[in-house]
Amino acid sequence: MSRLLVPLHVQSIQNLGKSQDELVYHLTAHLRMNAVYWGLTALCIMDHKDALDRQEMIDFVTSCWDDEAGGFGAHPDHDAHLLSTLSAIQILIIQDALDCVDVDRVVKFILSLQQPSGVFAGDRFGEIDTRFLFCAVNALSLLGRLSELDVEKTVGYIVQCRNFDGGFGSSIGAESHAAQVFVCVGALAILDRLDEVDVPTLSWWLAERQLPNGGLNGRPEKLEDVCYSFWVLSAMSILNKVHWIDAEKLTSFILSAQDTDNGGIADRPGDMPDVFHTLFGVAGLSILGYPGLKDLDPVYCMPADLIERMGLRKGWKNLERRTS
Amino acid sequence: MSSVSVPYAEQPQWADVVPLPQYEGVEPLAPIFYTNEYKDATDYLRGIVKTGEKSQRVLDLTKHIIQLNPAHYTAWQYRYETLLAIKSPLDVELELMDEIAIKHMKTYQVWHHRRLLMTHLLRNTDEASTSSSSRSPSQLASTELTFIARTLAEDAKNYHTWSYRQWLLAFFNDDSLWDRELDFVDSMLNHDIRNNSAWHHRFFVVFQSGVREGEKDRDRILRREFTYVKQNISLAPNNASSWNYLRGILDYNKIPYSRLTSFVQPYTVPHADVPSDLVDLEDPPPSRGAQLPSPGAIEFLADVYEEEGGNSILKATELWKSLASEHDTIRRRYWNSRMKEGLRAIQVKS
Ligand SMILES: [Zn+2]
Repeated sequence: MSRLLVPLHVQSIQNLGKSQDELVYHLTAHLRMNAVYWGLTALCIMDHKDALDRQEMIDFVTSCWDDEAGGFGAHPDHDAHLLSTLSAIQILIIQDALDCVDVDRVVKFILSLQQPSGVFAGDRFGEIDTRFLFCAVNALSLLGRLSELDVEKTVGYIVQCRNFDGGFGSSIGAESHAAQVFVCVGALAILDRLDEVDVPTLSWWLAERQLPNGGLNGRPEKLEDVCYSFWVLSAMSILNKVHWIDAEKLTSFILSAQDTDNGGIADRPGDMPDVFHTLFGVAGLSILGYPGLKDLDPVYCMPADLIERMGLRKGWKNLERRTS
Repeated sequence: MSSVSVPYAEQPQWADVVPLPQYEGVEPLAPIFYTNEYKDATDYLRGIVKTGEKSQRVLDLTKHIIQLNPAHYTAWQYRYETLLAIKSPLDVELELMDEIAIKHMKTYQVWHHRRLLMTHLLRNTDEASTSSSSRSPSQLASTELTFIARTLAEDAKNYHTWSYRQWLLAFFNDDSLWDRELDFVDSMLNHDIRNNSAWHHRFFVVFQSGVREGEKDRDRILRREFTYVKQNISLAPNNASSWNYLRGILDYNKIPYSRLTSFVQPYTVPHADVPSDLVDLEDPPPSRGAQLPSPGAIEFLADVYEEEGGNSILKATELWKSLASEHDTIRRRYWNSRMKEGLRAIQVKS
């Protein structure tokens, strides 16, 4: 069985900022802050946190501050958005540099995006999605300011997104989808409201995501994809059901999606790798107890020891770390 | 999109705008070198945003940027604000954006833009300027449903497109729109019986969006749904979506699974045992050539036995064992844990 190519993946993350002449790099400027968080977290899990320059990273994050809105954009001069604001907070906490943020203003920005229905918009343009609700809950929790959230209204929206198959969708009426299941279950875990989950039905739905080739899909009758290793497993860890997964087969599926020449992990074997799938592949392996990796907190998708020190650990359960 | 575009700096009608280059202050982890066309257009957009200009040429500029990068949300946002400011007819905008929506249907902004337009059209029906024609809001919504169907023909499981359809139906909540949804689901499932999005949509329409006129007789609706899902299981006994739908109906309406025992049984055994030329509308048998037994059916029957309790739980464990060892080995750990729970329940009783 092949191994996780840690040095190559570290190198591929270090090389991320270095090929800016490629068009795709510019077309993804709206994800730059997220990409930095994905890269940094993957490095932490592989125990190479210092592979990227700390000060340079903090400077990049602070340069994305949108002083008008009071949040972070994905890139300098971009408007503030909840996705990039959460990533910025996560990066600064991992780097122990939260003191360079005006926390009061960020909290105000986040709370201003809650809609009367209880869901959150991503920015003032008004796109709504349970993803943004999770970003808000997660960020407020990391900032120690959950007490300012209208919890009933927030939980009320999540409950309305629950479907007959036990899963959750992106908005009321939308189909269950593994990524949306993770954000809804994660938010309920942070808010200590897992009683709103139909545990047997949802756990079965999550187990049903594994395909005979070992990979996981995001919805019935769709293709497997490495990123669902995280979305599905994190939700299962929160519900204490990871042991239902065929871990050996899923591990080999993730490893088979590695780029053995240039590093990085792709969505499935043979495709182009990217930092998004690299993180979620490594994160999935960590939840499965892959040897040599650091523990990942599946609720916050951050290093587990850090979340534990902050006093935010919830009752999730990953597989025991194997020694070989 | 034209392949050769004249830079804005060389177009006299843009001479009065000062282009603003992308911020390149600190030594960033992520410096910026754009392709010339994209850089030129976005520099002019930043210049426009700075002065706050709202005009027809802003619509041209933002459309150009969106075509280059449909995820550029500032371009979308500024475009929408401009449309409202200059009272550009929104139904024309919808049509103009049809092609871009189909080309970039995986981009959320494409759908959010339409959502904003439809919301404004419904809330401001008295404003003559919002629409170029005298079509009523539900006529506009109906046109929109047709457009959505057209995009789903390109990508039948696109998540954004389906959730936009669900939003649109609930937002307009007009019986004349709901009425045609089951036919639509039918056409999608005729095309691909395994399309989970279509199954989900059916559940949403029938059970989760309120009870409409003509649907008050819930027993009739239930009979219709049972017949529908049974026929689909008969055609494709190994389709997880239809089994989930069947369970969804039962759970939602609190009906015991044992109601379906006689239907399910033939699907839990190898094909040879089934008398095949029987036409039974109540309990349609597996279609010829179907791969049997179906794990979905075995699981269902085990649930029936578990529900019965007592010694029937032993029958359930036998079925779980067959799933773990033969018919669904990838989930053997799940089936093993069901077996353990079942046996524990028996021990507690005795
Ligand atoms: Zn993916």
